[in-house]
Amino acid sequence: MRISKQARREARELFRSCLADAVLDENRVRQAVQLVSRDKPRGYLAVLVQFQRLIRLETARRAARVESAAPLPPDYRSQLQAELTRKYGAGLSFVFADNAALLAGLRIQVGGDVYEGSVQGRLAALQERF
Amino acid sequence: MSTLLQDIEAQISGIKAGVTKQNIGTVREIGDGVARVEGLSDAMLNEMLDFGNGVIGLALNLEETDVGAIILGDYTGISEGQQVRTTGKLLQVPVGKALLGRVVNALGQPLDGKGPVNSETFYPVEKIAPGIIKRKPVNQPVQTGIMAVDAMIPIGRGQRELIIGDRSTGKTTIGIDTIISQARLNRAAEAAKNTEYRPLYCIYVAIGQKQSNVARVMAVLEEAGAMPYTIIVSASASDSATNQYLAPFAGCAMGEWFMDNAMDALIIYDDLSKHAVAYRQVSLVLRRPSGREAYPGDVFYLHSRLLERSARLNEKYGNGSLTGLPIIETQAGDVSAYIPTNVISITDGQIYLETDLFYQGIRPAISVGLSVSRVGSAAQIKAMKQVAGRVKLDLAQFRELAAFAQFGSDLDAKTQAQLERGKRIVEVFKQPQYNPMAVETQVAALWTVQNGFMDDVAVDKIKDFQSKLSDYLASRKSALMEKIRNEKALSEQLTADLKAAVVEFKQTYR
Repeated sequence: MRISKQARREARELFRSCLADAVLDENRVRQAVQLVSRDKPRGYLAVLVQFQRLIRLETARRAARVESAAPLPPDYRSQLQAELTRKYGAGLSFVFADNAALLAGLRIQVGGDVYEGSVQGRLAALQERF
Repeated sequence: MSTLLQDIEAQISGIKAGVTKQNIGTVREIGDGVARVEGLSDAMLNEMLDFGNGVIGLALNLEETDVGAIILGDYTGISEGQQVRTTGKLLQVPVGKALLGRVVNALGQPLDGKGPVNSETFYPVEKIAPGIIKRKPVNQPVQTGIMAVDAMIPIGRGQRELIIGDRSTGKTTIGIDTIISQARLNRAAEAAKNTEYRPLYCIYVAIGQKQSNVARVMAVLEEAGAMPYTIIVSASASDSATNQYLAPFAGCAMGEWFMDNAMDALIIYDDLSKHAVAYRQVSLVLRRPSGREAYPGDVFYLHSRLLERSARLNEKYGNGSLTGLPIIETQAGDVSAYIPTNVISITDGQIYLETDLFYQGIRPAISVGLSVSRVGSAAQIKAMKQVAGRVKLDLAQFRELAAFAQFGSDLDAKTQAQLERGKRIVEVFKQPQYNPMAVETQVAALWTVQNGFMDDVAVDKIKDFQSKLSDYLASRKSALMEKIRNEKALSEQLTADLKAAVVEFKQTYR
């Protein structure tokens, strides 16, 4: 679908109106979508498509995925959450996953930033170097 | 065996044991050598992006939700959803003397099959031009070996002189002749162990040229023995638009290394019209807004920032220089088109080549009226100034008179003499391609014609007279020529000696 500049601008405005203290408010997002779908303003479909993209990107930006070779103890998890919240601000959604392929260590991804501290990552770096 | 183990140990010790941070994104769109990448929040402008499998991209558009990147190399292996990493490095190319004699692409990779380029120094492709504190005025000549240029449109080291003209008017030839002339001068200085002479290294950047043309240029330079002092950067017509866009910047970075290291270099951009076209293509695919003739709004800045990097540095910064000879191809002689006017206004003068003159047999087909050098006259040697001071005016008057004389047959003696002198000057300036002349030979020829010693020679015999005079002076009066070369000025004594030599030659000439 071709999205016009006008639709982009409106989607951006809609997206900004859904932020509360620079954090995406889910209720506002739902309300906004319902309102636009109900009122059907000119070019609303393109606006919603672009709005969905912005929400997707923002959700990905605020998603923190912590992978470890073995399950992490709860106190270590909460310590990690606190550290990441301090660095990236509030509103992060955390996912903790076990990944035996890492062999040992941690791999943390917050949005586009990847902190590689796993043995698998180091082996991959070594392989690239050779 | 032990060295193998040591190598492996060195590789392992190079690996950082700590946590590494990377910024990654995913390819959203790919096509026409341009990718749109989502999620690269830390990407810098002109940063190299790693697409995996050795494919590198260059971040050119930083937008709200994605990054527009041009792919350097083969983009057909990249697919949607693929991961992209920032590298934290700006695009850079190898520089240094190891590149002399080599033919490389826009990334500095060899194309000549002579093995890898052994250079350990790298320069960023985009660099801010030297500021006013670092610069000094142009005051040393670039001897192009083309008499018409050296006499009437002199070029100085650090100058930007545009070569402009229609297709097939000899634009590239002027550049090649200049390179050959520099190689001869460099070699002569090396042979004479003249440490005062500053060698001029040359860089020829071919943008959007036919591969056959580049091969021809290379063959000519090799035959003339100029390759040891020359680097050829080639982004031919079959290369991607991104490589064509980057090639002049890469060549400029190579030239800057010479300038920064207290040496002199000359760079020829052949040609910037095709460069502008390649940049237009890249910009349109990146969806940048287009302006006049669909060129992007920053096409002037594209060329001004490139040409501004040509400079003459002062003694405090090494006294190096980078001379720029950009080439522009006009359509049907239209110098008022968009790109030609842009580049004319950026450069310190232009050599305008005319199709009509070319087909009249006046080669190089330099239009004296439209060609100008704004700063080069300060760099001209005194001997040349003495003999060529009035030539431009004489030729302009000759052209006016010649046009006027077509309508009437009765001309007074003075006008007749001016016309005859003009015809001879035009003949003297004719020069075959790839045959640059030494400055002392040029001075002698111009002195001879200016002082009326060729007035009694038939116009169609002038070239013969001139070449025999040059041979005579080179073989029989080499001491006199050497004096002119070394003293760089015509003293009364030298003028008398030159006069005696010319009179002596005329007695034997038939």
